[in-house]
Amino acid sequence: MESLGDTLWDVVIYGTGLQQSLLALSLSRSGKKILHLDPNDYYGGPDAALSLQETEAWVEHISHPANPATGVFRSSSITKPDGATGLSFPRAYSLALAPQVIHARSTLLSQLVSSRAYRQVEFLAVGSFFVFNPPSTPDEKPSLARIPSTREDVFSEPTISMKAKRGLIKFLKFVLDYEGESQRDVWTPHADGQLTDFLQKQFNLDAQLQAYVVALTLSLDGKISTKDGLAIIYRHLTSMGLFGPGFAAVYPKWGGLSEIAQVACRAGAVGGAVYMLGTSIQKLETRESEIELHLSSGDVVKTQLLVRNDEITDDGSGVSRMVAVVRSTLKELFEPLVEGAPLPAVAVVAFPRGLVGDDGTPTNPVYLFAHSSDTGECPVGQCVLYLTTLRTSDSKKFLNKALNCFLESINEGQKPQSLYQLYYEQARGAVESRAEGLIHNLPDASLSLSFDDSTLEPMKAVWEKMLSDAPAEAEYMVFPDRDVGQDEEELYD
Amino acid sequence: MSQHGIARSTRVRTEEQKLLEIERIKKYRALEDQVRSRASRTDYTAELFHLTSQLLRLNPEYYTTWNVRRRCLISSLLSKPSPGSSLSRASPSSSPAATPTRPSASSSSSSSTAIPPSPGSPTAGTSGTTAEAGQTKDAEILTSELTFTIPLLIDSPKCYWIWNYRLWILQQIIERLPIAAARQVWEDELGLASKMLNKDRRNFHAWGYRRQVVEKLESAVLEGQSMVEPEFAYTDKMIRTDLSNFSAWHRRSKLIPRLLDERRADDASRRAFLDKELALIREALNVGPEDQSLWYYHQYLVLNLVTTAGRPTIAPALATEDRVTYLTRELVDIKDLLEDYVGVKLIYEALMEYTMYMCQLEERKPDADERAQLIEWLRQLKKLDPMRKGRWEDAERDYGLAEPRFTIT
Repeated sequence: MESLGDTLWDVVIYGTGLQQSLLALSLSRSGKKILHLDPNDYYGGPDAALSLQETEAWVEHISHPANPATGVFRSSSITKPDGATGLSFPRAYSLALAPQVIHARSTLLSQLVSSRAYRQVEFLAVGSFFVFNPPSTPDEKPSLARIPSTREDVFSEPTISMKAKRGLIKFLKFVLDYEGESQRDVWTPHADGQLTDFLQKQFNLDAQLQAYVVALTLSLDGKISTKDGLAIIYRHLTSMGLFGPGFAAVYPKWGGLSEIAQVACRAGAVGGAVYMLGTSIQKLETRESEIELHLSSGDVVKTQLLVRNDEITDDGSGVSRMVAVVRSTLKELFEPLVEGAPLPAVAVVAFPRGLVGDDGTPTNPVYLFAHSSDTGECPVGQCVLYLTTLRTSDSKKFLNKALNCFLESINEGQKPQSLYQLYYEQARGAVESRAEGLIHNLPDASLSLSFDDSTLEPMKAVWEKMLSDAPAEAEYMVFPDRDVGQDEEELYD
Repeated sequence: MSQHGIARSTRVRTEEQKLLEIERIKKYRALEDQVRSRASRTDYTAELFHLTSQLLRLNPEYYTTWNVRRRCLISSLLSKPSPGSSLSRASPSSSPAATPTRPSASSSSSSSTAIPPSPGSPTAGTSGTTAEAGQTKDAEILTSELTFTIPLLIDSPKCYWIWNYRLWILQQIIERLPIAAARQVWEDELGLASKMLNKDRRNFHAWGYRRQVVEKLESAVLEGQSMVEPEFAYTDKMIRTDLSNFSAWHRRSKLIPRLLDERRADDASRRAFLDKELALIREALNVGPEDQSLWYYHQYLVLNLVTTAGRPTIAPALATEDRVTYLTRELVDIKDLLEDYVGVKLIYEALMEYTMYMCQLEERKPDADERAQLIEWLRQLKKLDPMRKGRWEDAERDYGLAEPRFTIT
């Protein structure tokens, strides 16, 4: 049997994050010699889903003094609130580091379909989007208001006035055709201005409705531009109902993007790629037409191309994240409100700009993604909450506050208990691909809360470069079925 | 086969695919010939029955095949009725077109009615257990028939023959099985109709089918009671899912007279009901003024106010002045829509029509203000709907608004 060192690999892919895994998928029928490595013992890299035990090890690794404090992940900690009971065994949990929701119109999904990989992923519906409303008097509970995004939603919503509804309907209609000529004339002069100003001036939407619209964009600073905001709302509205009534986005079961990464790697393996987990690159020597890699396994391999995440780090910003396990089914969040709609497994709650801070302190929005146990990420009877906000000196405090407020708004007998909290910060140093001779550095994972299709472009570029000698008909991420369908034939026998 | 808003696609066929199709056509024709020849020999056996299964899977629209299948069931597979049973007294079955496709000498012996047994036959003086065994066998066969049609319905949800066949099977179930069992099957059938309506909310076959199933469930034959309240609630659900559902609004309007009667609604509650319906449609029009289904329903409510003679209305006891108040409010609210919705012709149409209704109610002609408004609305309509220019010009003439087109000197 050939050893790893005997082969001149066409590419060594380092890391099994979503990007690298999709690259492996795209190359899985190409016949190229691919060696796919990951220093971790699990697939998914920065997009992985971790059991509680894996989470502890992960936190330890990040906090370890030997590791740079300027990596992608920083300042992580685990808290188990006093008196909290009911936490199940570690493997009963699968906490997603990349809980992005994927809109139905997303290019990622069409790539998964055309490459046939979609069949191995179970997609769950992302249901309602809510806005958190603080109590109007101190005696009241805070509440969650469902954001209407279809004509029928607006129709059924009792808290919006008739006139305000007309404004909202006109806006929804406008967005659905926002690339049309007459619509472009209206918004392009305000393209770089704030969406909220545009909503107020052009459609007379009040603060409440502006908050609804901005919440749908999942804008981390709440100040999204008109141009970007319209594009995202357009994607949301045109995704609604695409795969079934009542939902605009999906979420892969068993840990979000990590599941897609695993499926992609599996396809890579079926296509002949060699996989090695728990293997890091210890030394790297570039020659004229190849790179020599010394692996932690002791192997020394040669490759014509190395694809990895960049090593650039940033110096600030990024996001603060909290993952909390709560002891409640949070049923009221996961109701399908349309006839024939599937039961959603994910709900989105937005804390709009300026809401969570102490009086007088403007704050950034906080977004909370609630996952029911249907996602496979926790046992039945519990939910996993993923909170995100821009990183500031107070962001950890605000996440805690948001979590608390959210739990107070839940209409159950008692306020649901938090059993486990993971806090971490994530930066995005490299935002673009960077070629370094025979090394191709991919950008860091996107911090966007909904899947950003632009992150797919770097992989396509690598694929094109690698297959530049291939026949012209090869289409990116388009594969025929491996086995032919039998159904129709049977009818005629 | 088209569904709302989904275009048919034409397939491009390669040589290979064409050859494959020719093979398939050959096989289909052979199957069809077999079925036809056996049927013409009135050979309604289990074998022919199985042949029809194959043929129907390939082409459920071939309605004669369904008739052949029915005959096979009656002649061979289903149990023969015992004397004194409802079947032996039954009139010809309710299925359509029971006549054979080919006239043949022996066809007279195979009519579509069940053949009563002769006195000397083994079934005369049947004991209870034989009848029961017959029922169990029938139940199995009829249930499997229902199952057989399901994939066909899913593939061809608008094929009349499949719906008809199901109804015929369901009727057989009423005739052959005990009432409680039959009722259960019909209740499940309501579930199927709902499922088909979830798939395509505007499939009028499914709505019509639903109506028939509900009617049967309410009837004495299945020891039923009125289902008007849950059906009314169902239309509410469908409307909230999709406001553009004409069938749902239509069904709602058809249920209202019976609903109010069964609730024994007095004048006050009738008035309250009307208020609620008007509020509902007003909210709907507020978000969907371009939607014709909504205007149809609004018109239905307004006609309830305006016409009293001839048919039952929602609140017949309303005095004329109350009706005028209602209509005035509607006109005001519709005019509000013009503030935000530009270029929606249905709004102008409604305003025009309802102004004329108002005049009708008050038994007068349009006053000067109304005339000015009507002229303006017709001007808009001519602009927004130039294809119906003739209609708008007719309206102008009818309302006495037109300028003379030419003068005779």
